[in-house]
Amino acid sequence: MNKEVSEFEPCWDLLRSSLVDIHTKNASRLSFEQLYRASYKIVLRKKGDLLYERVKIFEMEWFRDHIMPVITELVSNNLVSTALVQPSGSSAHERRETGEKFLRGIRDSWRDHNMSMNMIADVLMYLDRTYTADYKKPSIFATTIGLFRDNILRNTLGSAVQDLGEPFVIFDILNAVVLDLINMERDGDNIDRNLLRNITTMLESLYETDDELEKQKLYLTVFEPRFLESSRAFYRNESERLLRESDTGTWLRHTRRRLEEEHDRCGTTISHLTAEKIAAVIDAELIVSKLDDFLGMEGVGLKNMIDHDRIEDLTIVYNLVSRVDKTKMPLKNALQRRVMDLGVEVEKTLRETDFSNPSANVAADGDDGGDKPKAQTLNAAAQQTAAAIKWVDDVLRLKDKFDNLCVTCFNNDLVLQSAVTKSFSEFINLFKMSSEYVSLFIDDNLKRGNKGRSDAEIEVVLDKAIVLLRYLGDRDMFERYYQKHLARRLLHGKSEIETEKELARRMRAEMGNHFTHKFDGMFKDMEISKDLSDNYRDHIRNLGDADSRRVDLGIHVLTSNNWPPEATRSSQDEGSKWKGKGDCIFPPEIRRLQDSFFKYYLRNRSGRVLTWVPSAGSADIKCVFPKVPGKETGPLSKERRYELNVPTHGMVILMLFNDLPDGETLSFEEIQAKTNMSGTDLVRSLASLSIAPKARVLLKEPPTKNIKPADKFGFNPQFVSKAIKIKAPTLNGVSKVEGEEERKETEKKNDQTRQHVVDAAIVRIMKQRKNLSHIQLTTEIITQLSSRFKPDIGMIKRRIEDLLVREYLERTEGDSTVYRYLA
Amino acid sequence: MADDGPNKYITLVSSDGFEFVVLREAACASPTIAGMLRNQMVEAKTGRCSFAEISSIILEKVAEYLSYRLKYKDKLDVPDLDIPVEYCLEMIVVADFLGLDEQMA
Repeated sequence: MNKEVSEFEPCWDLLRSSLVDIHTKNASRLSFEQLYRASYKIVLRKKGDLLYERVKIFEMEWFRDHIMPVITELVSNNLVSTALVQPSGSSAHERRETGEKFLRGIRDSWRDHNMSMNMIADVLMYLDRTYTADYKKPSIFATTIGLFRDNILRNTLGSAVQDLGEPFVIFDILNAVVLDLINMERDGDNIDRNLLRNITTMLESLYETDDELEKQKLYLTVFEPRFLESSRAFYRNESERLLRESDTGTWLRHTRRRLEEEHDRCGTTISHLTAEKIAAVIDAELIVSKLDDFLGMEGVGLKNMIDHDRIEDLTIVYNLVSRVDKTKMPLKNALQRRVMDLGVEVEKTLRETDFSNPSANVAADGDDGGDKPKAQTLNAAAQQTAAAIKWVDDVLRLKDKFDNLCVTCFNNDLVLQSAVTKSFSEFINLFKMSSEYVSLFIDDNLKRGNKGRSDAEIEVVLDKAIVLLRYLGDRDMFERYYQKHLARRLLHGKSEIETEKELARRMRAEMGNHFTHKFDGMFKDMEISKDLSDNYRDHIRNLGDADSRRVDLGIHVLTSNNWPPEATRSSQDEGSKWKGKGDCIFPPEIRRLQDSFFKYYLRNRSGRVLTWVPSAGSADIKCVFPKVPGKETGPLSKERRYELNVPTHGMVILMLFNDLPDGETLSFEEIQAKTNMSGTDLVRSLASLSIAPKARVLLKEPPTKNIKPADKFGFNPQFVSKAIKIKAPTLNGVSKVEGEEERKETEKKNDQTRQHVVDAAIVRIMKQRKNLSHIQLTTEIITQLSSRFKPDIGMIKRRIEDLLVREYLERTEGDSTVYRYLA
Repeated sequence: MADDGPNKYITLVSSDGFEFVVLREAACASPTIAGMLRNQMVEAKTGRCSFAEISSIILEKVAEYLSYRLKYKDKLDVPDLDIPVEYCLEMIVVADFLGLDEQMA
């Protein structure tokens, strides 16, 4: 027994004096091994519990005797009142000074305590490993560290309490001082960040209880909530102030700065643990609560930013909105509204723009520029085409603008991109003339040919065309217009076939075979026709008999299904009073030619009918104007030979004058009788030959600007032209914009076709599915036809009823909303 | 005692004065020795750990074990370390003293 006690006490004495040395920073004289062995022996002798208690008591006494006095002195009345009451009398500077002094004191005492305890815990390692673990007590370190918390932080200081009248602890002062300093830094002051970090690290190392549970760090349980609350109040005030005093741009930048600042703070001044939470506070106070106010601000808000392409501002807006709202709803809505507004404005601008200025007349076909009587109507047509081009250009420019915004500011965000696309589709489809205008745009670009443009430029144009095509809802309308314009281009040779084919190829890729089916047919017809012409020419040549007066024939054979109706019929039913039936009467030489070709054509084919379309063809005529007697000088004194290019109708008319004696005239009605042409065609052709000076090979009596049935026409011997090759104005060569009535016509025809398409779709679907309810059927139809056009619900209903009547479908007996297919 | 930064080697001194030089890294496998070397007491300053109650024969085996442990750390197919039977009991006691028990990783 004695031996045991005596073994314990010497060891304990050794340890106790070493504890003192350690606390007083005199540890260098000590031998670790010796102390370690001392505690080892104590534990082996089963006195671990005694040692544990003695150490604990020692530490408490040490606290009381050596550390507390220092702290108490730090906590002067001044400090308490400034920190907790914050009278307005004290300046920021003063508060900072006293605050930092206090914090430094706490920190230093903590540091010493921490270091000492680490050392002590190491020395008593054996005790911890065995006794403590076995008896499930907190480790030496935890216990003694906890003493710091209990004796210092949670200590109330007697005297100061009376002044305030309510209990508080040093911890409260500590928190208040730290938060005060942080707010000072937010306002721009410089503080000792390192000091604060030490304090917060200290709080991270202390726990609510000696169990040292992770989630119960004092930092998290006491400091952080207060920090977040104070920050919330701070930022709430700040956002109010910003709303009162500044504009959206400032607010954006300010918020961004604060976010960065707080993030930075979480590494340097307080713990990383708080990073997300403080970011959430800023999100809530600075962003969410005032977002709509700032974005909607007059003159500086989102609308303004979009209009003026404020890239940096928009990027910040995107980033901030993405933080708080995954759907980016406010931004999306604003963008969509703006696109719609700007799109509608494009249309408005169009209506208000005056296109009569020739410099705006970009679409004028070179040939048409010179005619004066026709100048007014042609200019009107050309004006409208110019309008079409402008509309397309404006829309494309708008698209470029928003695409640019999406790429540079919005990080190619899919949600926003699809929202913008949707709005574009919306306003484009609201505009009735969009299908037509897009086709005109393509027409204009392709007509100019490829000269002077690099491959890249052509690519760009084609890409733009396809882009616009994607937006169009009424694709079948577009198909109709495109077919019409394409026919004109092909028949008059106005564009490069390669480019046309390239575009058709892309359309096919984009919208499927059935869309380009007709166009491909047209291309094929053109190719076959070329071969046919060449072969025919060879055939004729081989027949021998070179006749100097033989007419050289170039032919285009059009398969009527592929080509638009305007190209394949002559304009007989265009509201003229001409009641004559039958085709145009051709001159005998031409008729011979036609028969010859017809025979050749039918050699290898049977069962086909060829119909000549004079409104689409042209003829090159060699003219001889003999010397005018009586003139010795000037151009009229010579014989003039010209080559005149006229439409087929024109050729038919001119040939009549070959047999006419000199000086005689033919009247309008006579010409009409001989040629069997309709009034409209006749007027057009005569006008181009007798009114405009460029090709005035006929004289008109009376020489008015309009053609009347009573007019007379004769050979003009005094015709002079600077050029040898003259082209009479082709009136069908320019694709012009349709007038109101024409457009309504086209729409009506289109609707009819659509009805057939819907019928076919209904039958197809029902055949496959046998039974379908009304709603399912409608949905199915809309889905299937979506790539062509958007069917009207009423129309679908009517078609279904029609099919019911025609007994393709019937209603089922049980449920009248379910249809059944009737074979 | 020149202080030229943490030396790579440290010396373990037995009760009968034998010295064994081992890598610091190897020795710190023992939490006790590690504790000795990280605090600012005599051992840390001189890089010498004296064990007043461990004989040289045992300490030698300890030193061998520490090096062996470091060498074959995280390896497969490790050859056995030979410990003569008569020393086993003392080795166990010393192992406990030095914290080299199975709770270590």
